Amino acid sequence: MLISLQWIRDFVDLPTDLDPRDLAERVTVTTAEVEEVTPVHINAQGLIAAKILSATDIPEKRNLKLVELEVGDGKTVRTATAAPVLHVGSNVVFAPVGASVTATGAIKAATVAGAPSEGMILPGEAVGIPLAMQEAIFLGDEFQPGQVLPAEMFEDWIIEIDNKSITHRPDLWGHYGMAREIAAIYDVPLSAYPITPKAELCDSNLPEVAISIADAHACRRFTALRLEGVPTIPAPLWMQLRIGRIGMRPISGLVDLTNYIMADLGQPMHAFDADQVPDIDVKWAKDGETLQTLDGMERELTKESLVVQSQGKSLSLAGVMGGLNTEVVDTTDSLLLESANWDPITIRRTAHRLSLRTDAAARFEKSLDPSNTTLSIQRFHLLAKAMYPEMKLTSRLSDNYPSRPDPVIVKVNPPHVKRTLGRACDLTEAVSILSPLGFSVEEIDGSWHVSVPSFRATGDVSIEADVIEEIVRRVGFDAVKPSMPRVSMRDIKMNPIHELEMRSLEFFCLAERFHEVNSYIWYAQDWLKQLGMEAGDCIELRNPAAEGLHQLRRLMMPNMLAAVQRNRFYFSSFNLMDLGSVFELHSKGDQEHRHLALVSARRGKKEESVCLSHIKRAISQWAWLRFGQQVTYTPAAVLAECPWENPHHTATISLGDTIVGRVSVIEPGTRRAMDEHLSAWSIACAEIRLSNLTSLTATVEKLGTIPDHPQIDMDFSILVPASSRYHEIAGQVADFDHDLLKQIRFVDSYEGKSVGEGNRSLTFRTVIGSQQRTLSEEDANGFQDAFEAYVTKLGFALRK
Amino acid sequence: MTLDELSKQLTKIELQVATGLRELDQIDAVRSFESSVLGKQGSIGLLLKNIRDYPPEERGQVGQVINSAKAKAKAIIDARLNEIQREAVEKESQGASDVDPTLPGGVEPLGSLHPVTMVQLEIERIFERFGFTVETGPEMESEFHNFDALNIPADHPARDMQDTFWLNNGQVLRTHTSPVQHRAMKKFGAPLRIIAPGRCFRYETLDASHENTFHQVEGLVIDREISIPNLIAMSKALLQEVMQREVKLRVRPGFFPFVEPGLEIDMNCQICGGSGCATCKHSGWVEILPAGMVHPEVLRAGGIDPDQYSGFAFGLGLTRLAMMKYGIRDIRVLNNGDLRPIVCSQRLGGPILVNKAS
Ligand SMILES: [Zn+2]
Repeated sequence: MLISLQWIRDFVDLPTDLDPRDLAERVTVTTAEVEEVTPVHINAQGLIAAKILSATDIPEKRNLKLVELEVGDGKTVRTATAAPVLHVGSNVVFAPVGASVTATGAIKAATVAGAPSEGMILPGEAVGIPLAMQEAIFLGDEFQPGQVLPAEMFEDWIIEIDNKSITHRPDLWGHYGMAREIAAIYDVPLSAYPITPKAELCDSNLPEVAISIADAHACRRFTALRLEGVPTIPAPLWMQLRIGRIGMRPISGLVDLTNYIMADLGQPMHAFDADQVPDIDVKWAKDGETLQTLDGMERELTKESLVVQSQGKSLSLAGVMGGLNTEVVDTTDSLLLESANWDPITIRRTAHRLSLRTDAAARFEKSLDPSNTTLSIQRFHLLAKAMYPEMKLTSRLSDNYPSRPDPVIVKVNPPHVKRTLGRACDLTEAVSILSPLGFSVEEIDGSWHVSVPSFRATGDVSIEADVIEEIVRRVGFDAVKPSMPRVSMRDIKMNPIHELEMRSLEFFCLAERFHEVNSYIWYAQDWLKQLGMEAGDCIELRNPAAEGLHQLRRLMMPNMLAAVQRNRFYFSSFNLMDLGSVFELHSKGDQEHRHLALVSARRGKKEESVCLSHIKRAISQWAWLRFGQQVTYTPAAVLAECPWENPHHTATISLGDTIVGRVSVIEPGTRRAMDEHLSAWSIACAEIRLSNLTSLTATVEKLGTIPDHPQIDMDFSILVPASSRYHEIAGQVADFDHDLLKQIRFVDSYEGKSVGEGNRSLTFRTVIGSQQRTLSEEDANGFQDAFEAYVTKLGFALRK
Repeated sequence: MTLDELSKQLTKIELQVATGLRELDQIDAVRSFESSVLGKQGSIGLLLKNIRDYPPEERGQVGQVINSAKAKAKAIIDARLNEIQREAVEKESQGASDVDPTLPGGVEPLGSLHPVTMVQLEIERIFERFGFTVETGPEMESEFHNFDALNIPADHPARDMQDTFWLNNGQVLRTHTSPVQHRAMKKFGAPLRIIAPGRCFRYETLDASHENTFHQVEGLVIDREISIPNLIAMSKALLQEVMQREVKLRVRPGFFPFVEPGLEIDMNCQICGGSGCATCKHSGWVEILPAGMVHPEVLRAGGIDPDQYSGFAFGLGLTRLAMMKYGIRDIRVLNNGDLRPIVCSQRLGGPILVNKAS
């Protein structure tokens, strides 16, 4: 929101030499964030009012017109202008030859389209009204042609407040509320809000406007006043300039005035053509009913749309936007002024449903002070009297106020103030802080009873902590002496999944050289299609970031493969890991699980076993270090949702009896589908569900023993068909037993000429020993014979 | 043999030892030479054996003369042995080829953690030092946890501030890590000191500084007498630790429904030092830590009595911190999987001779 410093000075007597940047900083640290402070330095010299006598098109210059103007003392000048609209007989802001503003420099006599041009009708943007752009600024009768326009009217500073920082402060959506804060900051008095006294508007001889309210919750208060003698004239220059500088476009006296009050007090108002509104009926609309709003759109209403009606006809969308039919137009001379207070949630829902985020709706949904309805009409009257000398009331101030709130009094426990502030704050200090903000404080039985002013009482300040906040921010955070908390010690266990995740990432990074990447938690349909993957039933986003990004991932691997494809341009081999959440629609327990995905990729078709073996080694080492358990890999069929798995090289990963994940080689078709170049690559991948592992307790191997008698290592290589599977053979070997046997472990697997085509040699290391004696050569031979016999019985041969 | 003759004999032996050793360059040869002189049957050894041939009154002197000669010979032999060993070591250390001691070591690449993970680990270590427990929560949250439990009821304008990803099961992707506040309060009760790092989601249009997926870390301290001065002290300690230097803070009011009072903690811009630059929008300050005293309703919803306990909470943008620390200008590189912008170059291969990347 934009705040004009000139405007603020109407209410607060600030030092003339005040540095607006200092003000901005002080507002930022005590009230609301100032985003920017910008000077409006028009440096107007010699600007005058000039009356348009005639305007004619210049034939060869389509957007230029030739204008004759009266510039006082009966003198006339001619000039060319690009202003799109010109009213003959109206006064405009004019810069005669020799006058200047910052944007144009000194105006010189010139020749435009063959005609002399003496001076310039200043466009709105040159006098500090950005939205008026090329438009001329029209003046009422406040200035006579030739009269010099006061230079100081054009000078200002604009302070931009971050809207987010005042969403909870409806009072700060107007200059008067902001002025109150600034007065408190500078410790100077705040002027009373300038209004026409209520009594003047309550002439009992005048009729009352009949106002009926169907839902007192939705419409808390409705105040109205009829006026006549309000012809269409421009607003005073000062008013146009002020609303122009804070980002509005001057339109007409009446519109500008209601906009001015909205920016002044924060209260939106609406003016109806009085002739069409004999009475007021606030009601819920009927389903299917339509209303053409001021923006010309035909809006479909529902029974949840609150409308203002008269004689059964909907006139406006309450608190959001007026209707086109009852719009005040040039010929309107009498009007009905509405100033109401609406339930914020009703306004919010309507504005959302119709995507109609008007300034009025934005303010009403913050829950405005109901006192503002009468206040704004009184303010309107005061300002309008000066604009419309002929103005007359045709009704008395009519007010239907069905939901008058109880005064808000908050009880504050002084020790709680001390607890938050870190130091004591006595009643005197509290009063000196709170009263400039409109609060009053009374001490009763040791606690403070704080009366909240109506403009802070619509939800903003309702509990003790809210009052404490007022005290703290006014004391100033820079006045607080930082001190470390005094805390109690507790025994809280480490979070098991987090611990597992972080240590796992560190392990795979440091010990196995994986690079961690992050990816989005949703699938990209294009990519799934490329992979030939059917995602199956997924939890879906109702509002995805883009089309085709609606499914939450059930597996990490698809997005991981996208990262593989991306990196293949730049690296000839790499290992990637990604840890994140996956989501299951059909799940008995948690729908969200934590997965770790690993990929090992190398350029070259023959690297598959290298990649696979790297991933498996990494997983085995990790499992051993983390859980003290060995991993087993069991051949598995390809899953429908994992079309990238090579059916010959896919296995489940088990820890003990629990399957924790899958490991596989990416099959050639998928590689080619991912990217033509990847058809000459080898890629292995694994995905592990970490969430299932937190309940596993690490088994601890007993250490510290040295055998009493030396043990002997004996390696045996068993020749097996290459088509056989390790996990079966290992199972059989593990069943071998012997008195002297201490341990059998796998050493390696070998395929090559020396073992013959179609064969594989698996080497196991046996350890034998005895608790009672040192083994003899006969013992060793006996063991060897027994093992060989066992292997032979299995149908295999030992490699000699 | 008279004493005089004995002396001459010994001098002769000494001379023989000195000359004899000169021709020997193998340790074994020196050892056998040694025993030919000092051994029981050696030239000096035999003289010592004959000591009984002298009259008892001379034996003392004879023994002295022989022993001194023996010691001298031993010293010469040991010196020669040392010399040979030194030569051998020298020869071995030269090795077969000419080794360049200035060559760099192995050039195998290292693995790496994601920049956000690195910063997260750093933050976790700092907080563990202060006795905080690390807690986590789900990325898919109920509306209750993401909003209601944090004093953001339905239709509250604050729900507008966070553009939410809604799911077809009625849940949301959490818009902040704050739901973990509530979960931790329910799980552990008061007093409490936790941080909760994690991924969050907001419906935003992607550009160089906006992502719909980013990381935050939530901090929460609840105890008997927790104050705003405590929050400020803790924030300062945290930021100084992260930045590894003295930082200035600016604390100002901020509005978040789950804290009251709400604060915004700004840090003096680390790029320009506070004089104003594009990063800080020429203000000299960077918004870094939204914070505040836990709202009594949030404490109550977590089962904690606000009369007994007070607390502070803050949120720190891990993604932003990682970008600041590693000078990452485009936030989108963090989620797209390309290793080049997220891996320190020394992790990718051998030593770097020229590095013009910036
Ligand atoms: Zn800066």
